[in-house]
Amino acid sequence: MATMGGTIKREKPGNVFVPTLSRRQFIKAGGILVVGFSLAGPELLKGDSAKATTLKNTLDPTLPGSWIEIHPDNTILIRTGKSDFGQGSTFTAYRQIVAEELSVPFEAITTVVSGDTDRTPDGSGAFDFLGHGTPNIRKAAAYTHQALLDLASGRLGVAKDKLSVKDGIVSGGGKSISYGDLVKNQQLTLTIPVKGDLTSIMGLTVEGNPPMKPVSEYTIIGKSFKNSVIRSKVAAKETWATDVRLPGMLHARVVHPKTLGSTLVSAGAVDKTKFPNSQVIVKGNLVGVVAPTEWEAIQAAEQVAGATKWTEWKGLPGNAKLYQHLREEADWTTAPVTKGDGNKGDAGPVLASAHKKLSATYQLSYMKHAPIGPTMAVADVKPDGTVHIHTHNQNLQALRGEIATMLRTTPDHVVVHSYPGPGHYGRSNGGNAGAEDEAVLLSQAVGKPVRVQWMRADDMQWSTQASVSYSDVQLALDEKGKMAAYQIDHYMPAMQDDRPIGAVIAGLPTMPAPQVKSDSVTSTVNGIEDPWIYAPVPNVMEQGHGTFQVGQKASPLAVGLRDHSMRTPGQFQQNYPRELAISEAAALAGADAIQFRIDHTSEERAIGVLKAVRDASGWDARPSPRPDAVSTGSMPVRGRGVSLMLRSGTYWACVCQIAVTPSTGAIAVEKYAIAVDPGIVVNPVQLKRNVEGGAVMGISHALFEEVMFDESGITTEDWISYPIPTMADIPEIKVVLLHNPKVGSYGGGSEAANALAAPAIAAALHDATGKIMRRLPMKPAYVQAVLKT
Amino acid sequence: MVTLNVNGVRREVKAPDDTPLLYVLRNDLELIGPQFGCGLAQCGACAVLVDGKETRSCVVPVASVANQEITTLEGLPARWAKQKGLSADEAKSTLHPVQQAWIEEQTPQCGFCQNGMMIKATELLESNAHPTLAQIKEAFTTSGVSPNLCRCGTYVAIIDAVQHAATIMAKGR
Repeated sequence: MATMGGTIKREKPGNVFVPTLSRRQFIKAGGILVVGFSLAGPELLKGDSAKATTLKNTLDPTLPGSWIEIHPDNTILIRTGKSDFGQGSTFTAYRQIVAEELSVPFEAITTVVSGDTDRTPDGSGAFDFLGHGTPNIRKAAAYTHQALLDLASGRLGVAKDKLSVKDGIVSGGGKSISYGDLVKNQQLTLTIPVKGDLTSIMGLTVEGNPPMKPVSEYTIIGKSFKNSVIRSKVAAKETWATDVRLPGMLHARVVHPKTLGSTLVSAGAVDKTKFPNSQVIVKGNLVGVVAPTEWEAIQAAEQVAGATKWTEWKGLPGNAKLYQHLREEADWTTAPVTKGDGNKGDAGPVLASAHKKLSATYQLSYMKHAPIGPTMAVADVKPDGTVHIHTHNQNLQALRGEIATMLRTTPDHVVVHSYPGPGHYGRSNGGNAGAEDEAVLLSQAVGKPVRVQWMRADDMQWSTQASVSYSDVQLALDEKGKMAAYQIDHYMPAMQDDRPIGAVIAGLPTMPAPQVKSDSVTSTVNGIEDPWIYAPVPNVMEQGHGTFQVGQKASPLAVGLRDHSMRTPGQFQQNYPRELAISEAAALAGADAIQFRIDHTSEERAIGVLKAVRDASGWDARPSPRPDAVSTGSMPVRGRGVSLMLRSGTYWACVCQIAVTPSTGAIAVEKYAIAVDPGIVVNPVQLKRNVEGGAVMGISHALFEEVMFDESGITTEDWISYPIPTMADIPEIKVVLLHNPKVGSYGGGSEAANALAAPAIAAALHDATGKIMRRLPMKPAYVQAVLKT
Repeated sequence: MVTLNVNGVRREVKAPDDTPLLYVLRNDLELIGPQFGCGLAQCGACAVLVDGKETRSCVVPVASVANQEITTLEGLPARWAKQKGLSADEAKSTLHPVQQAWIEEQTPQCGFCQNGMMIKATELLESNAHPTLAQIKEAFTTSGVSPNLCRCGTYVAIIDAVQHAATIMAKGR
């Protein structure tokens, strides 16, 4: 669902590696083919001892740290380091991909193992599941397929290239054998090459270029299969992270500091007359309250919070002065300016002598990931220092590394078990969601398993947020109404802070706060995330400007307003200003906004989604604003707008039709159409559901979401102060899936949908009223103010 | 000591009278369908049926619902079986039509809020066998103490599933 930062580029495929297949021993019953991995290249030598120890666990093929098991009964087990966060990919697309590469039925893949650092091979975060068409599991399956063909060739005495496979039966030369029979009574281990750092955000990547099944032969990819975990969740049979109860476990609540810069003066004492079984734990500025029952922990923590004293701190600009602070006070000079891949020509002189020109600034607010359940974790620190963490986390291996850093130990002492939980939309893809580190510290202090549950306000006020940003656009039209030059400067503070907050508050070791030089996504450098689609524009200049997080330098705790990538990270912040500006340019040119886009791109698939969404929405071609646009009165006025995006190999376009009541500023989205071309559609039903959800979240971002904060901290605390859409707020939603197999690959299908609504709704507001609003969210009060100008 | 009637079974619990029902269900009775979403009756993740009415267990003191009929997500199949007079064997192998529809329509994304959504759907369909789109939206938005919130944005899939469940219930299986 969410998210990786943009400064990370995937490794290019390396040389073809020859996988090695070894026969460990002849065994009398059972038998198995286990696909494990070995490290390729210099990574093996580069790893420090901690990493080497971690990897040693998974290198032993007798341990289950492997990808795929072929069993003699023809069933197959797969393992992935990716955790499901509602996308369902591990239970649907991953099964389909493996079944396709191995030419076995979907149902043959009976078991999917994920969510455990000791039982999964590859690490990485819960984002980019489809891996730009080649996720790790696909390559692992392709290597396995080749190994099975080699085995069959030997057993049948038929040349490999004369063999074919259908439903797990290898046939050739009039003979056949099943996969199950090939592995029966043997223990076979296939070793494949991988590269990377297990506990980094990207984890390990399978290397090499094993032959893969041609798209033209696909029979499983492209069909709708149900997500198996939905049944167990719906029937209350699933074990969620929230359900983990360990013997002797205590319940805890954390008393977080009074402000984002407060240090502890004195921790309050428990009123033992009321809460006889509770105790206060203090570690640096971290104050925790533990009790045998959850209700006592909640009440005791509230009482202790009232008696705890903190220093005062004011170091944030507050909402009212946020953009002024960013423009006038933030230091944009330390991070190098980044450039767009599509930059060309010389925009400056063309802008200076433009026939028609647009010059404008666009602003996006801070937004919360706001999982529907606040973060929680259970930790069990054993007497020997071994740590077990039970949580709901998008990047288990990264959390493992972070907890090891905090405890000054090595990752092999930390085991992370992840279970289903509320969607995080990117918040924990860097390894922590909050609560895990606090649970570890409290468990360590009391010598028992501890369950930390954040309350709703903790989650709103002590978690990270999607970064604020603003962009300055200059755009020139020539006499024919064509874009002659486009310049955009994006300004966004560091968008990913992966430090565990409990460790920071406790004053324990963590990775550094966001800085210029960083080998991960936590850098202050603001990369260009939004691929340029309008190639015919002759002069283009896109630039990214980065800085530190707001308050990061001023806070004695070094926290400030911590940011974290959120669904379509960075690209949302860049696509909203671009697409709204393009709609404004169309209006300036007196052109239809969809046709204007089509006329400015040469990308067939971009044109395809634009035409599809034009048809699906019943779009009538004409310039904006509509001829009878009005910005006053208490009667709703209607308008429509469009937006376009390319993300992770997938083209997206959406049309929003809105009704706005000028006197109140209230916007209702009445109809929403979205077209998606991911190349190959892996699972139509699952993609449709993912897109619908993303569409609703996009409307939420556009209309409702803004983190409120004052000079000391975040004041947003619940669903009243941070509203999201209700069922009554959603429009009629039409999803058009464009299955486009000639692309030869499948792009991502969950992100992007949440980013498309905002520029389309803003363009629709302009269409309806003739007024442009260049700020998110489009809350009624802000809309009213714009309509009055 | 409070006596509860949960999913048709009498349960004695030792929790203090003011303990919110949610913590008793989850921690004492190991009924994990209801989830902690806000503790403020603002989202619906913790919903249960109390005498057939959708109720936010995160703010209801356990003593206040003593002797009332409480149904959690776990109790929906038996509730349906009782309403339809299914045999014990049939009841064991069935899910409530709302649950069946949630699977058929592939409604959940993360699924964390869906307990409350299914409880709300059950409440609705027990009083209105064929709700209109407007009535479904009204039920999930204004009928309770707060709207039932879904952060993954599955409202379209929920509407599809409520309509599907109504069809299954009309057939009586």
